[in-house]
Amino acid sequence: MSLVNVLIIVVSVLAAMGALGVVFSSQPIYSALSLVFCIGMVAVIYLILNAQFLFVVQLIVYAGAVMVLFVFIIALLSPSSEDRPAFGVRFIIACLAVVAITGTVFVTARNGVTYSGDTLRGAVVGRADSATDPAYARNAFDFSVDNIDGTPGHEGPGNVQTTGGQLFTTFLLPFEITSLLLLVAAIGAVYLTRRTPAGGH
Amino acid sequence: MNEQYTLTTDVFPYLLALSAFLFAVGAAGVLVRRNPLVVFMSIELMLNAVNVAFISFGRFLNSEEGQIFAFMVIVVAAAEVVVGLALITQVFRIGRELDVDDLNELKL
Repeated sequence: MSLVNVLIIVVSVLAAMGALGVVFSSQPIYSALSLVFCIGMVAVIYLILNAQFLFVVQLIVYAGAVMVLFVFIIALLSPSSEDRPAFGVRFIIACLAVVAITGTVFVTARNGVTYSGDTLRGAVVGRADSATDPAYARNAFDFSVDNIDGTPGHEGPGNVQTTGGQLFTTFLLPFEITSLLLLVAAIGAVYLTRRTPAGGH
Repeated sequence: MNEQYTLTTDVFPYLLALSAFLFAVGAAGVLVRRNPLVVFMSIELMLNAVNVAFISFGRFLNSEEGQIFAFMVIVVAAAEVVVGLALITQVFRIGRELDVDDLNELKL
């Protein structure tokens, strides 16, 4: 177990604690702050997984725009504080469901995942064919190593260039439909929150 | 090459477990909590869980598509939050208590 793997596990535990804080907080503002923490930890996982573009997008869009919107609405509405969920039968059932789902996925992924005939377990990502295939060598997880050595990093998957290249070539149509979706959402929000003249509710 | 700084697939089950945990906690939050704001936060939690799974699979299969899908999910989540918070604001404006159990205006 390398240091990077240990780091991912520690950050995952922190993210899980943040997620529990979202559900168990008695006031919505605490839920929002827990969600900000959880989103930040998930962003760190994106960075470790070589998704630098989504790391930045996650911090700007989620922890920035969306959560500011949430906090703004909470401050605007000032909803009355809600009691914690009752620790009754439903709570026990929910806890059992969470543990069962997580455990099932973990055990299945640890023991049962095979891909192209080779189990994923124990292999080193991106280094399997690096000796023979130079394209694989470029995909190695090496930004930490490069930073320590002081050598310039390779262009692995996940940097802005490769992601943007895919986004504007292969996935151009979904990307353009995204703009339509955002336009409809903005118009819908303006329409829903408009103040009607006298008589309307 | 220092192996201490090498990501190995030993960590893949932990990432999938994190994804499943976040999704399950989010689903439980949607079902248990009654404040619509907290319900929306739980939905965000579930969308984040899906993103973790997408990016993990994309990383460990050396593919770009996972990140593209995660990007689309983030866009959809932003649009959903905008419309949802506008609806919550309107519900509050007409003087209703913020409780998803009491919101039955659309019931026939």
